[in-house]
Amino acid sequence: MNNSRSTRRRLAATVLALVATVMLFSGRLIDIQVVRAAELNEQSLGKRSVAVPTYGVRGNITDANGVLLASSVDRYDITASPKVMHGLADPKNKKPIDAEAQIEDLAIATGETVEAITAALNADPESDFAYIHKLGTLEVLEAVRALKIPWVYYEVHPSRTYPNGAVAGNLVGFIGTDGPQAGMELDYDSCLAATNGSSTYEKSKDGVRLPGSTVTTKEPVDGGTLKLTINSDLQFYAQEQLATQAIKVGADWGTAMVVRVSDGHIMAAADYPSVDPNDVNGVPNTALGSLAFSTPYEPGSTFKPMTAAMAIDQGLATATTQVIAPGRIYFPNGQYIKDVWAHNDIHLTLAGVLMNSSNTGISKFSDMMSQQTRYDYFKAFGVGTKTGVGLFESAGSLPTIDKWDQFTNYTVAFGQGVSTTSAQMASIYQTLGNNGIKMPLTLVEGCTMPDGTVTSVPDATPTQVVSEYAADQTVAAMETIVSKGSLSRQLTIPGYRIAAKTGTAEVPENGGYGDQRIVSVAGMIPAENPQYVVIVTLGKPDIMKTSAASAAPFKNIMTQVIKTFRIEPSGVPAPDMPVTW
Amino acid sequence: MSAVAYARPQRGEPAAQPQRIEIVTTRAQRRARPKSFYAVLAVSAVFALFLAQLMLSIVLSDGAYQISALQVEQKQLSRTSQDLAESLDLLASPQSLAQRAEALGMVVGSSSPAFLRLADGALVGTPVAAVGTAGALGPDGGLVANSLLVPGAATLDPAATPETTGAPTLNPASTSVASSNGELPSPTTR
Repeated sequence: MNNSRSTRRRLAATVLALVATVMLFSGRLIDIQVVRAAELNEQSLGKRSVAVPTYGVRGNITDANGVLLASSVDRYDITASPKVMHGLADPKNKKPIDAEAQIEDLAIATGETVEAITAALNADPESDFAYIHKLGTLEVLEAVRALKIPWVYYEVHPSRTYPNGAVAGNLVGFIGTDGPQAGMELDYDSCLAATNGSSTYEKSKDGVRLPGSTVTTKEPVDGGTLKLTINSDLQFYAQEQLATQAIKVGADWGTAMVVRVSDGHIMAAADYPSVDPNDVNGVPNTALGSLAFSTPYEPGSTFKPMTAAMAIDQGLATATTQVIAPGRIYFPNGQYIKDVWAHNDIHLTLAGVLMNSSNTGISKFSDMMSQQTRYDYFKAFGVGTKTGVGLFESAGSLPTIDKWDQFTNYTVAFGQGVSTTSAQMASIYQTLGNNGIKMPLTLVEGCTMPDGTVTSVPDATPTQVVSEYAADQTVAAMETIVSKGSLSRQLTIPGYRIAAKTGTAEVPENGGYGDQRIVSVAGMIPAENPQYVVIVTLGKPDIMKTSAASAAPFKNIMTQVIKTFRIEPSGVPAPDMPVTW
Repeated sequence: MSAVAYARPQRGEPAAQPQRIEIVTTRAQRRARPKSFYAVLAVSAVFALFLAQLMLSIVLSDGAYQISALQVEQKQLSRTSQDLAESLDLLASPQSLAQRAEALGMVVGSSSPAFLRLADGALVGTPVAAVGTAGALGPDGGLVANSLLVPGAATLDPAATPETTGAPTLNPASTSVASSNGELPSPTTR
């Protein structure tokens, strides 16, 4: 009986000990699994899981044929940890690294100087982060990684490159540190910008993703591709021609535009000076945009065909209507308007007025119409209204009728006292070439999103501004300038019928007009059925202050237009149009 | 009540030799005992399951490492491809092409455009020979800048570029383009 009691006691003691241990463990278990579960989970997840931003790629900008004008690329910032470096290079270490030799190798690989790298590392020795080299190419990255320096790391830095340099640089724009600054990059940022996503995954100690642990919280969305109407080869040629001539005659600025008559699409819009978006600091601040859209000027005689078209549209004249153009037209207060050359009364037809660019002659036609009529036509042609392309464009200025004094009443007929941009002038000639139908000037064909949808398709609503007859008669009259005018030799391309109008505009200065000039030539080809408009403007040339300065680039660009778009020569010569009577 | 028979040694009797005591099981007991085969089966099944789970998790982690390695490789390759595409776009730029063309001695066509109509071989327009010195780029090497192009690097150096099968190597420095008094020989057409 003693044995059984002692056995039972021993048994009871063992069971008690067991129960106590179990209770201790379960108590701890409940504490960890239930009471502090959430907090511990979060801690561990934080140590294990990595939230990674996944980058979307900014959309490209291409020309009408798909040539890349702006594209997104990856660049790599080489960074270092000064703290780690100083720790590893500490002479108290068992095997200190040779920091100097490594810095020298790094300098060779990145192209930075040893002094610059050392300065960056010593600026804040306790910091864990310092830039060694920014925006390096893949070559630099691979050279640096091959060195296997333990305190050097890298970061991917999405960047933008413009492989064609300054070609269409004035139109494409560029990206600054805060985002797009100018051009299509800015105007169509909503099309081009990408949305970043983020994903979380859990990683093991050596950095490998734990299988099944990737959770994508947000998908990145790439930007869309913006397609411009530009032909980049023609744009290059136009920019080259314009720059060559502008430098030759000492012009302050210049623009050259090529527009397709049938739909108002811009084939080329060249500026001088023009920015290379890869090197924005290479040009003065005034050249960062597009002068063709932003800079209004008094156009001068290139306005005259518009006045002629108005008169014909009103049924008041045809291309052969005869007028007498006096040497001067006097006003009661003694002011007068006159032609560029002194003459007595001459007998001119409307075609002759355009060919000789007679201010007094066009004033006679202008007198046939009321001010309101002419003002309405100007508005219909787009004078005083933005073209809608963007690019910080100016609307120019068309004074309202109440501001037309007796002088302005006549001068607006030949493009003084009113200001337009080159783009607006190109649009006017597009209308005249398109049988009087104005198509909105367009630089963008569309924005193709990654899923295939096309947005930002521009408005293509036609507007009949003058009748087909009026437009055709005006173009026929303009042909005489190329076939019989004083610049005939500089403007003629054998085998082709071209219609053009020259303009030598005075520049307002200190309330009057100075001796600076803005010279331009605007024309279209082929004259019998215009397909393309070319307009070249040079601002304030120092030598050759007549429109002959613009004639050479006009002809060269026109020739290039013929070659680019395979325009066939006109089969028949221009019909003879009387210019005098 | 245990049916095990047990023997008690006789008290006081000198034990001449200890009797060998054998505990034997009855037949009923033996039959009632669970077969060892099933036990072995169950235990080995459990072990097999553990083993299988171990193998699976090894393969899974191995797969994770493989994925990681492949992703790294893919990243490298896509970076290289992007870099090459960038170089290609740069080489295709008009400034680069114009520089190379002029290094080869090419000139811009004349101001009188002429076309060859392939349908019937007719010559359309008035062909005029190009002037021998007229290049697209002026004497200052072009006015439309491209700061991505390293100046002077336009000419291909055959030593640096890998040999492409069949394509002739360009070496403008050594070969001179045959020019006859600056005029391009005009093709004879019907």
